[in-house]
Amino acid sequence: MAEKQTCSCGCGAGERGKNRIIFACAGASNTGQISNLAAVQLTDEGYGSLACTSLLAAGAANLTKMCRESDGVVIIDGCPNACASRIAEQKEITPDQHIIITELGIKKSGDRGNITDEEIETVVSRAWEGRCR
Amino acid sequence: MVNIEVLGTGCLKCKRMMKNVEAAVKEMGIEAEVVKIEDITEIMDRGVMLTPALMIDGELAVSGRVADVNEIKEILQG
Repeated sequence: MAEKQTCSCGCGAGERGKNRIIFACAGASNTGQISNLAAVQLTDEGYGSLACTSLLAAGAANLTKMCRESDGVVIIDGCPNACASRIAEQKEITPDQHIIITELGIKKSGDRGNITDEEIETVVSRAWEGRCR
Repeated sequence: MVNIEVLGTGCLKCKRMMKNVEAAVKEMGIEAEVVKIEDITEIMDRGVMLTPALMIDGELAVSGRVADVNEIKEILQG
């Protein structure tokens, strides 16, 4: 499972002001679940803050406002259906970074029991690398 | 040959910076010596107070955050 570290060395101090909002599609397939696991890991690593995609869909005005005031919106979709991205679009939110997991060589399937750390790492590194902008 | 130093005591953000540097160097196809400096005294000796940090040929380029691959490429291109 994903490595969790709480850093006490004072690193990343310059990033404390970074306020990225991360939405995962969190769909039922393996890639949907990877999107959620990657978003949680990115939050743990200090890349941004995981936010609730279904709450956005439900029309929470405060969340829409938070996105507009953030330093960036990151959307992680499991497949080209791009459900999370479409929800954001409906709320007139344009992502700064949009990652589609199946485009990273991970095949979509209904097998959620065999998600590997490498698959999660592939998505997490993609975000940190600043790809898909 | 470009000398690239990635400074950080070894936590996740420092590792992310190192990975991004390696990706940038590979994509640019340049000759570079990439060194990771984890010793806190060595880091302080270079005047770096915030990690992760990136030094190119002895000049501080980034401090206190992870630079993404494109940013590192831009820095390396000068």
